[in-house]
Formats: sequence, structure tokens, C-alpha cells
Amino acid sequence: MAKKLKEQKNANGPVIRVRNLVAKYGDVTVLDNVTFDVPRNEIYVILGASGCGKTTLLKHLTGLIPATNGTIEISGQNITGMDEEQLAGMQRNIGIAFQNSGLFNSMTVGDNVALPLREYGNMEPRLVNAVVRLKLSLVGLANAEYKLPSELSGGMRKRAGLARAIALDPPIVFFDEPSAGLDPIMASGLDDLILNLKHLLGISLIIVTHELDSIRKIADRILMLDQGRVIFTGTVREAEQSEHDRVRQFFERRPDEHITQRNI
Amino acid sequence: MNEKRIQCPKHLDQESGRGLVEQIRSEGVAPRQTLVLDFSETEDMDTRGGAWLIELANYVKAQNADFDLAGPKGHVAEFLGLLRPSLVSMPETPPERPGVFEQAGEATLNTIGEFKEFYHFLVDTIYWTVLAPFEGRGFRWGSFLDELHEMGVRALKITFLMNFLLGMIVAMLSAAQLQLFGASIYVADLVMVAFARELAAVMTAVVVSARTGAAIAAELATMKVQEELDALRGMGLHAAQFLVAPKVLALVIALPLLTGLGMLAGIGGGAVWGLVVLEFRPDIWFNQTLNAAMFSDIFQGFFKAFVFAIVIVLIGCHNGLRVTGGARGVGLMTTRAVVMDIFFIVFIDMIFAAFFYYIL
Repeated sequence: MAKKLKEQKNANGPVIRVRNLVAKYGDVTVLDNVTFDVPRNEIYVILGASGCGKTTLLKHLTGLIPATNGTIEISGQNITGMDEEQLAGMQRNIGIAFQNSGLFNSMTVGDNVALPLREYGNMEPRLVNAVVRLKLSLVGLANAEYKLPSELSGGMRKRAGLARAIALDPPIVFFDEPSAGLDPIMASGLDDLILNLKHLLGISLIIVTHELDSIRKIADRILMLDQGRVIFTGTVREAEQSEHDRVRQFFERRPDEHITQRNI
Repeated sequence: MNEKRIQCPKHLDQESGRGLVEQIRSEGVAPRQTLVLDFSETEDMDTRGGAWLIELANYVKAQNADFDLAGPKGHVAEFLGLLRPSLVSMPETPPERPGVFEQAGEATLNTIGEFKEFYHFLVDTIYWTVLAPFEGRGFRWGSFLDELHEMGVRALKITFLMNFLLGMIVAMLSAAQLQLFGASIYVADLVMVAFARELAAVMTAVVVSARTGAAIAAELATMKVQEELDALRGMGLHAAQFLVAPKVLALVIALPLLTGLGMLAGIGGGAVWGLVVLEFRPDIWFNQTLNAAMFSDIFQGFFKAFVFAIVIVLIGCHNGLRVTGGARGVGLMTTRAVVMDIFFIVFIDMIFAAFFYYIL
């Protein structure tokens, strides 16, 4: 495993490569000609105003929605032409932490984390319990193994969702809105956790968020969407110095002049 | 000092981790001995290696021995820092299952609690359905009409079909017996009496409980899970006024009407068998049917339907409002509502049957 991790860390080339991605819901174009690369072992933040297509992009990258046009390569494999079985195989190599945690309410937190290990882990049963404890320790929930998700706070549920996402040691983890709905202390703790996981496990994280403080703290690189188009890719520092009006507006937290019309 | 020192492998991963655990298990650890794992030469570790360390720590603690880590550096030290809670404390044990007496006590308290909740719910429902409109506190007529359409109009086809088929079945069953005595014409009487008094009301109520009772429970349960009910309360509105009252009134009107349709459909199903298979003349068959029709029988059928409607809507709403947990809770409460509906329909029907047998 250490060898595999090392290989992954040392391998060159982007971990995700998206070319000319187009997504449509009926006649409405949600993503228009989106092209970008996610470098290995970095925290790549996808950001943009509400309704700009962030979550749609995340669902395309994780194979939950098929692309209308264009290609998406995950770890060198093009997933746009994959059948359901191949997609399922690809999805075993990624972890997804959902905005509302996506934990199964009828199972304990430990069983939630153990589920992918028992289904796919090919692991001896005594080790499954140890791995569950380890993953829960990594996210700071060592004492929550036998708790039900309904007994956890919002921040703890997000961390439990993250523990389940990293259960199978995927090289790529997607995280939808990690800080949404959390108090600043909890959100900051989650940011530290994300940085720790990237550093210790050597994983690449693709995070959808629009929390500026969080972006400044964790992002190695950002991609900004506006009305389905990529308007910026680069580091946070570059974004803050960008001449692009929409990018500046976002980082300066300036409201739209026609905010009502845009929101309608 | 009773200490046993073990050198950790250079790369601690799945294979080397297993090897380490097996080596220590085969050598054994004495009680009160301290097992020191020396990480000074360990350059790298991954999560599977870490999991084996947790497994090892559990084994050592189970032998009443101590466990210590020495000399980790860099990345390994950071990793072990995060794992420390799992390495130093014993694994949590699953919460104990309560004993028989505790379970019985909890079940009793739950039942008492449920009766109390039902009492409050019933009082609220009676107030908002029957009294509040007369006090000018408002009744949601728009919702009522929507519910009437959903519960009544949209259930017409299935109610008709089920009763029609049941009418044919009753005619077939009774004809087979009555033919032996040359009394086939009494099939018409039997179908008429059975559907007027019993079968239309019960069959329609069962169909409606599976269709509408389940929908009511699932709708309210989902609303509760998604905090929509809290939102209502937060706006100073009552769930009983907003959601329950229109449903009660709608079903109290829809179910007797559906039962009337069920009576006609059942008698129609019997007539099809009588005319086509038993080859009676239509005028003879329908005269026989009309002669068998008693006002008291038909009244019984409608009165039962009225009571069943109240039972179905109250059970559906009560279970929906009691839901806890997420999707599983919604499923459990919906199932419970339908099972309770069918049980109470049959039980109340039995009480009616006994009442009419002994008293009237």
C-alpha cells in the first residue's frame, strides 16, 4: 500500500483532466465548454456564485450524471464512454463526501464507514474494525463509532461522511460544501482536517465551496465558474490580483448591481 | 523495568503490519509488561499499516500489558499523533442490549406516551375540523378540495374494479352451493346483502387504507423529517389545522361515496355472473336484487364507511406525526399505519357485526 501510495504521489500528470465538457438539462446549458486539469496531491477548489454549475460539475466528475459532450479523464481513464460496470469500478477509486453527509441514518457511524470496506475492501473482518477506528480517529471521531448519525452535530456528521469517503483509501476525494452550515470554529477545524488528510494520505481533493476564508486557507488552486463557463483557473493569490471583474467581485464580496434580476 | 522493545518495519503497510502483529502474538506479551514499538527506522506508513497498529494495541491491552511508541519522526509522527486516541484507549464496546424487564418497561412507557400523544392529537383534530370553522378561525377549503380530488376522484377506478371482481367471486362461490338446492336465484339476494352490509365498506376501506392511509403517513412523516412541521409551528400555524383537518373532512366525505360506488360495482359484478353464466333474465335478477335491498343494510354499510374514514385518517396522521429518524423512520411509520388501519377495520367491523347480531 505504501508503495502504491508512493507511486501515486510520484506519478506525473494531472489526476483529473476535463476537456470541452458540456452539460445540458433539456435545452438549458449548465456547463459550457469547461476545460481544466487537477494536479496530483493538491486541493483544487471549484467555486462560483450559487447556481453557476458547481454541483453539476462535481456530479459529472464523479460519474453521477453523464456528460452531454466532452471528455472527463479520472486517473488517466476516460469516464465519459464508460458503461455502468466500468463506472462503478472507477467510483471505487474515488471518495465522495456529500454536503448533507449522506450517512445512512439507520446504521451506526462505524457501520457507515465499514460499509464500503465490507463490500469492496477484500479485507479480513478483524482488520475492518481496526480500519474503521483508524478512519474515525483521523477525522477526530474516535468515540462516535456506536453512535447513530442523528446523535451527531452537523460538523461531526460532515466528518463522519469524510471518514466514509476515505474508507477505501481512494487517491481522489470530492467534498461538496464542507463548511456550509458550520460555525467558524467548526469550519476552521474541518479545514485543518482537510489539509492534514492531503498531507498524510497523499490524496488529491476536489472541493466545491464558496466560503472565502476556507478557500484562502486550504486551496492550492482554484477554478471559478460563472454561468456555466470557466472564468478563472490559478492560485488564490493570482485570483485576488485578477483583472477579471467577476473574479474581483467575488473576492471583494461586492454584491451584484442587478442582484434581483440575476437571482430571478 | 519490564519492557519489551520491538523494531517497526521501514515501511508500515498492510503486509509488514500483519507480519508485526503475528510476530508479537506468537512471542506473546506478559501482563504488566510494556511493549515499546520503536519507530526510529520507520520512514513511511499508510492507513492499513495504521489499522494493524490499532489491532496490535487492542491485543496488548487485552493482555493487561502497556503499549508505547518510541522515536517516530516526520510524517510517521504526524500520522501516529492522529491515531493516538485509538491506540491509547480501549475500543468502545457496543451499547448493551436492554434486558427483558427493561424492554417491557420501555414498551409500556412508549404505549402510555403514545396514548397521551394520540389524545392531544385527537383533541386538536376535533377542534380544528369541527369547532374552529364555526368560531371563524378558518378552514382550508382549497386544501380540502385538493384532498377530496386525490382521495376520492383518483380512487374511483381501483375501488370500482376491486368491488366488481369481488362481486363476481361472491356470486361464483354462492352459486356453486345454492345450485345444489335449485336456489340459484338467491345468489342475487346474497350479493346484495353482502355488499350493502359488509363487503363494499370493508373492501373499499382496505383499498383506501393502502392507498390514502399510507400516503397520509408518508407525507406527514417526510414533512416532519424535513422540518416542515417545525416551520409551520414557527409561523404560529397548527399542523392539525393546516394538514390534518382538510384530510379528515375530505376522507369522511370521500369514503362513504366510494363505498356507495363499491356497492353498485359489487352488485354489478354479481349480476354479470348471474346473467351471463347462470342465464337469468335481467328483469328477474334485478327484481330479486331490489327486493333484497333493505334500508337498514345500506345504512350499515355507509355508517361503517364513515367510521372507517375517521380511523384511516387519524391513524395515518398520528403515525406520520410520530416519526423519528430519517428515511427508515418514514418507511416504518408508513408500514405501521397500513397494518394498524387494516387491523382496526377488521376489528371494528367485527364489533359492528356483533352489535347488529345481538342488538338489532
